[in-house]
Amino acid sequence: MHVLWVLIVALTAAVLGAPAAHAQDRARSKEIVVGLGAEPRTMLAVMIVDWTTNAMLEHIYDRLLDRDAKTFKPKPMLATEWKVVNDTTWEFKLRRNVKFHNGEPFTAASVKATIEFALDPANKSHFAGNAYWGLVKEVQIVDDYTVRFVTKQPWPNLVDSAALVNSLIMPAKALKELGPAKLAEKPIGTGPFRFVEWRRDERLVLDRNPDYWAGPADVSRVTFRFIPEFSARMAALLSGEIDIMKDVPPHAVEAIERSGRAKVRATVSSRINYLALVTLKPGPMQDIRVRRAMNHALDVDELIKQVLKGRATKMCGPLAPANVDYAPVECYKHDPARAQALFKEAGVDPTRLTLTLDTPSGRYPLDKDISLAIAAQLQRLGITTNVVVNEWGTHLDKIKNRNTGDMFFLGWGPALYGQATVQPLFIGDQTYASYGNNKTIDEKIARAGTLLDPKARADAYAELQRLLHDEAPWVFLWQQHDLYGVAQHVEWTPRADEKVWMYDAKVTPR
Amino acid sequence: MRRYLVARIGQTVLVVFLSLSAVFGMVRLTGDPVLLFMPMDIQARDVNALRQRLGFNDPLAVQYARFIGGVVRGDFGESLRYRRDALGLVMERLPATLLLAGAAMALTLVVAVPLGVLAAVRRDSLFDHLSTVATVLGQATPGFWLGLMLIYVFAVQLRWLPTGGMGGPAHLVMPTIVLAAFYSARVARLTRSAMLDALNEDYVLTARAKGLAETRVIGKHTLRNSAIPIVTLAGLEAGQLLGGAVVTETIFAWPGLGRLTVQALLNRDFPVVMAAVSFTSIVYTLLNLLVDLAYGWLDPRVRRA
Amino acid sequence: MKRWLGLGLTLAVVAAAVAAPWLAGHDPLRADFTSALQPPGAPGHPLGTDQLGRDLLARVLYGARLALFIGVCTVLVTAVVGGLLGLVAGFFERWPSTALMRLADVQLSFPFILLALTINAIVGLGLRNIILSLSAAGWVVYARVVRGEVLTVKQRDFVHAAAALGVGRARLLFRHVLPNVAPSLVVVASLQFSQFVVAEAAISFLGFGVQPPTPAWGSMLSEGRDFLYVAWWLAAFPGLALALTALGVNLLGDWLRDTLDPKLRV
Repeated sequence: MHVLWVLIVALTAAVLGAPAAHAQDRARSKEIVVGLGAEPRTMLAVMIVDWTTNAMLEHIYDRLLDRDAKTFKPKPMLATEWKVVNDTTWEFKLRRNVKFHNGEPFTAASVKATIEFALDPANKSHFAGNAYWGLVKEVQIVDDYTVRFVTKQPWPNLVDSAALVNSLIMPAKALKELGPAKLAEKPIGTGPFRFVEWRRDERLVLDRNPDYWAGPADVSRVTFRFIPEFSARMAALLSGEIDIMKDVPPHAVEAIERSGRAKVRATVSSRINYLALVTLKPGPMQDIRVRRAMNHALDVDELIKQVLKGRATKMCGPLAPANVDYAPVECYKHDPARAQALFKEAGVDPTRLTLTLDTPSGRYPLDKDISLAIAAQLQRLGITTNVVVNEWGTHLDKIKNRNTGDMFFLGWGPALYGQATVQPLFIGDQTYASYGNNKTIDEKIARAGTLLDPKARADAYAELQRLLHDEAPWVFLWQQHDLYGVAQHVEWTPRADEKVWMYDAKVTPR
Repeated sequence: MRRYLVARIGQTVLVVFLSLSAVFGMVRLTGDPVLLFMPMDIQARDVNALRQRLGFNDPLAVQYARFIGGVVRGDFGESLRYRRDALGLVMERLPATLLLAGAAMALTLVVAVPLGVLAAVRRDSLFDHLSTVATVLGQATPGFWLGLMLIYVFAVQLRWLPTGGMGGPAHLVMPTIVLAAFYSARVARLTRSAMLDALNEDYVLTARAKGLAETRVIGKHTLRNSAIPIVTLAGLEAGQLLGGAVVTETIFAWPGLGRLTVQALLNRDFPVVMAAVSFTSIVYTLLNLLVDLAYGWLDPRVRRA
Repeated sequence: MKRWLGLGLTLAVVAAAVAAPWLAGHDPLRADFTSALQPPGAPGHPLGTDQLGRDLLARVLYGARLALFIGVCTVLVTAVVGGLLGLVAGFFERWPSTALMRLADVQLSFPFILLALTINAIVGLGLRNIILSLSAAGWVVYARVVRGEVLTVKQRDFVHAAAALGVGRARLLFRHVLPNVAPSLVVVASLQFSQFVVAEAAISFLGFGVQPPTPAWGSMLSEGRDFLYVAWWLAAFPGLALALTALGVNLLGDWLRDTLDPKLRV
């Protein structure tokens, strides 16, 4: 029995460690704890396409270009200038006197090494795909602070790609000498925070980098805690265990504001939510009249008001205003009579129509509840809708294998430039497409993706948005609002591109 | 004894092997795991390349041989989600689960065993009835509901305890209670019936007849003799803690093996599922072996059974 | 006491399940956005409403139907499959017996809930699959108990006598051995029943079982968890119903065991 007790005591000591600092102590020492739903999947940059992972990584690594928090246009970060040299060559001027956390100077060699790391098949990086760096043929070092990207075809979106987490830069020398495995254990970047420790499934701790090129952050230490359930994250926020949480559901806003311990900070996100009307498999949605009828049948305003408590911004076409390639299109009006007429024209009797709707649960704000509400709205026209609730992995699996019902609910983002939405979602052979095999649209998308001239590009996307609106491949829903719970002693404004950037946070001790 | 030992160990090895085969069989019945962890714009040819690289295109027999060979070397392949050694992930989570299970077991021994002993000694007293009610309730209350209600009361309303995660000793309180609830109800009932059996044995009657003090009768004669079934049964039941940990850890975001398994199942991260389930099964089987051996050693009749 | 409380609770749950359409007064699936998240005691909604304005009482009552349906189906499947295998193994001994016991060992080398969960995650979600996975994880107990009983019963005189009279094996098995094993089967079934109901709820709670909007106690609990902050009743009542059901059936099973087969250990 004694052995058991000794074991328990030893294990307790080993596993629990020191208890977390109290909220007030944290305010004094300027520490911030951020509650996120999952842990990172790697500590290496340019490996895994996953919002949660990269949201944490970009505190350690810097991007080549940042985005303006208001206009979403690319702006300098590790690169200070960029220009088009010819149809297939981009040139970046790099910032001088930037050092990695290990003292290694940042130069063109690191940019080249990072992109080559992403493209090397041996590393199995998600970023090797064509939507990321797959179109890059070669990275050329012109001098220490000038680097050129040579592409396989004209690629105007390269600059958009460079202004995302796609371009988090790793140190060339350390990557070569230590190797990826060592770097994954103790990542080294140029970013405003340095890696301290990662307790699996528990927390990631980062300390302020006092030598950051843009000046040190106000926050001395950032801890990311991984708390999967919303209710647990919220309790942690209100009890002072964490200072910032993402994805507060609309119904909880009041409870947070009332608590006096935290406030809600909201932003219109670039992430869009839509109801895909699946045309890639046989079914009623292959008829354009049915798809248009669906757009007239659903009352999107009611969904926003009743289910989301107004926390969403209605969208009328495939792109939202946060997208640089956005052009306005006219909305489908909620009009049950028009919907009935269109159904009749298509030879469909709504009272005999049974549809299936696939939805994830907990991935997007109130996703499942919205799907159930959509079913309830369709019921008013006599349409029976079976809602199939999937866990997230299965949902994606079904979409990829074209195994969904007639409709599915999905979000897409950060959707900051047109090609990143229209190419993967409206071309039939793409992984997440629900609509496609329309020759005209295929050609126009391919062409839009190669236009370097801003005017030609704007016209091409405007035309595409009109065409796609008329094709009604989705019921166009809305831009999400991202709601964050923020502790009273923290000042921080969320951004539309979902970047949770603690460099901008200020802590005011009370 | 040696023959029994060899036979029992041989049997255990066979069961472990069969269990691993069962895990392999179960996991291969499902859809195509490769598709889930592909970049957003993946083309059909890339899917096939990755499938090839991961060996999902080989004949089932080859995959099976590779799986068993890997297990022998402690290699379950690489997590699809984390791109790290799957068994390594499992091992990392093990201390947290051991801590939780150890705490639950300690709580059970401290609470349930005395409860069962007292209930048996004071049979049909008010205390006995109350403890029966408590154990019946303990067995009937679903752990995940108990957990949610505790969270609501002690974390959400009173804010005395953290909602979950691992940090200080306070984080351990609620998960331990939830995990121990069902288990201690079982152990208390087992203790009570084992004590009742022992109290009816002749030597107890003799001891009483000799005029020994009741505390001594219970402490020295009864408790010792009922200790064997209690310890063995408690040991056998301890395996259930591993099952209970699946639910408890998920509710309290406890970074242990159970939660890892649930998440791997949700993410369809097959290497991790296989590593976690196989590992649990092996631990479980070994636990049974140990308990059996201890029992056989304590009670020679079993060996011949 | 045990008997009456057990019987009473069990009958109450059965009655609630059978009479759900009359007792509920609402369609458990009907959403009404304007009256969402009403607390218990709200007019027309004694237990309140959920986030879509569905009546919680109706959902809990219909949940009883589903829980009992799954429990009964699983018990039937496991009793038939496990019972038959146990009969065969016990009766023929030699290799069927050895094979069955090794299979049982394999089965028992996984914690019940983990096995059911894994099978469910693999075969997919839905009512039929959850019955399948629970059965696959739960039949062993019957097989073991029945085999043991058969081994004992076989030694009894009347079986020897029947065999001596030239009664066929199959006939012997079903006419003479089965009736003697039946009481144990009943006891095991009643004790397993609540385990199945709770396990189903746990699996649905973790997201692998019965899918919304079907009112299942487990998935209602998991939905209610997201609203713990603003609406405690969403998690409290389905769980209470589940606990009371398990309590009633457990007590009933205990009583049955005390009456029919006091020596049985499950």
